[in-house]
Amino acid sequence: MTRILPKNKLDDCIAAWQKAGFSVLAPVQRHGMSSFGEVQKASEMALDLILTERTIKDHFFPQTEPLIKYKISKHDIDSETMTPPERKRIFFGVRPCDASGLEIDDPLFGWDYKDDYWFRRRENSVIVSIACSEADDFCMCTSVKLSPDSTRGADVMLRPLSGGNGWQVEAISERGTALCDTVSSLLQEETAQAAPLPRVDGKFDVEKVMEWLADKENFESRFWKDISMRCIGCGSCTFLCPTCHCFDIQDEGDTYQGIRRKNWDSCSFALFTMHTSGHNPRNAQSTRWRQRIMHKFNYYQGKFGVNSCSGCGRCTRQCPVDMGITETLQAITNLPR
Amino acid sequence: MGIQEQYRSEAAELLSSGEVKLVIGFGAGSTADRRRPLFARTPEESEKLVLDQNCIANLTTYLVAGGLLTDGKKVAVFLKPDGIRSLNILIAESQVKAEQVVIFGFAIENNEVTPLEGRSISDFAKLGEKLRTATPPPSVQEEAERLEAMGSSGRFEYWKEQFSKCIKCYACRQACPMCYCRRCIVDVNQPQWVSTSSHTLGNFEWNLVRAFHLAGRCAACGACDRACPVNIPLRLINYRMGKEVKEAFDYFAGESSDQNPVLASFRQDDPETFIL
Repeated sequence: MTRILPKNKLDDCIAAWQKAGFSVLAPVQRHGMSSFGEVQKASEMALDLILTERTIKDHFFPQTEPLIKYKISKHDIDSETMTPPERKRIFFGVRPCDASGLEIDDPLFGWDYKDDYWFRRRENSVIVSIACSEADDFCMCTSVKLSPDSTRGADVMLRPLSGGNGWQVEAISERGTALCDTVSSLLQEETAQAAPLPRVDGKFDVEKVMEWLADKENFESRFWKDISMRCIGCGSCTFLCPTCHCFDIQDEGDTYQGIRRKNWDSCSFALFTMHTSGHNPRNAQSTRWRQRIMHKFNYYQGKFGVNSCSGCGRCTRQCPVDMGITETLQAITNLPR
Repeated sequence: MGIQEQYRSEAAELLSSGEVKLVIGFGAGSTADRRRPLFARTPEESEKLVLDQNCIANLTTYLVAGGLLTDGKKVAVFLKPDGIRSLNILIAESQVKAEQVVIFGFAIENNEVTPLEGRSISDFAKLGEKLRTATPPPSVQEEAERLEAMGSSGRFEYWKEQFSKCIKCYACRQACPMCYCRRCIVDVNQPQWVSTSSHTLGNFEWNLVRAFHLAGRCAACGACDRACPVNIPLRLINYRMGKEVKEAFDYFAGESSDQNPVLASFRQDDPETFIL
């Protein structure tokens, strides 16, 4: 016997969660783009998508975030710290790769300084993952040692039933158990088979890749120039990545008033490392692409013991010139040693 | 011999004779129907060139990237008619020297690839006129008319929604052959002229700045539109700007390589109705 959430009880679940003070966010297709958005009804959810084009990262680390408001008058300087609204949220239908992405980023935002903006949102959110029932050519979770039903970063794991009429429910964390309790009357005890997981073939050998990256001799390898020749230097791979987290601080306003903001930034941009003097230590696209790969599969691992990639494949899927992590790591795997 | 094989062997000849230092074409991509830019420097590498109905990217972008042509050497590039149009604009704007580019021209019609005669930009003089008088793709025209019928407040709402998706990844700029500025205005940060924030104002600023900078310069290749990871229909903006310029100045960007760029030149009989 397993606990089951029948699909036709989803509307009741949403209502119950809303009554308990939660906003419910789910995959939606709006204005020609798929992302996580607030929903009132199950019919608004786009649960058949393999993956949304945007990640849930956007809701924890928004692309632009006001930090401080300031006002300078004749005798006083006023400043006000702006904090994100205290809002309890449920993310329903998160894919395991995106949920893992949040957990991968946690140590980064809590390392030398606890980023209140990130953790306040993390603490107020419950992640309800749904295991994948389909994968596409770009999915690569298994290559980074995750899986289509990985529970990393999830509070509740739902596994689609083979009949397609509901999900097996497994609470992963305390927060998940508490969430399941709020809808316990809607869940049923049944014997129902979960649908088989999609096959996600291994695309590269991450151990081999890490070993090659760790060899300092390879830092200046010709490989980096060859692999990144067609990179046009946009930031789409970094901004669609569930784990990329770089930002820039900008003051917007004039001498008398303004707002300090935290905005997404990307290591793909030449401006990212441009010094005030005009010198740029990463003055070619190949050095910037190398940085992205090194950061994800070497530096991050060294600092936090985990690779900064959850295998969603968006970097390749949406790349205007068909580049991405998969091809690069495949090429490294196949390099003669 | 099919066109792919013909161009492969011609590319190999150009490379082995040293006539060109590089051939920019298409290669196999990460899925069966994806093609990716391929850079062949040796005759062997030119064997990997692919040419079929999936080769839709505008490769002129690479001609103006990273100082590729500054050594004066020649480069060969695979171009569709919209790519040839872009090349005309780049030559007219003195960004590329005509004699440095060997063209492997091709057209895709009804999923069929046909070769275009000629290897130098001067061989394509008639193509410009053909493009000028061609009707734009019905999908773009219909959508543009639908927006036109909305009225200004409806259009404003439409673009507000579309621009709200913008993440300022600048894929549109990076994919565009006309965005060749060494330092884009949004990257000028002492002081910061255009806001880097992706709020409503910042997103409008960026997309409008780009639209204005492309007025009378866009080859309608659709590279920006295809590159946009959040599906903003940028083709509609450029279509509208192109129409505006055509009506005001009877000018079609990229018709020939010896055009005077419309917004960087003047005629004595230019209308002066905007002067109060």
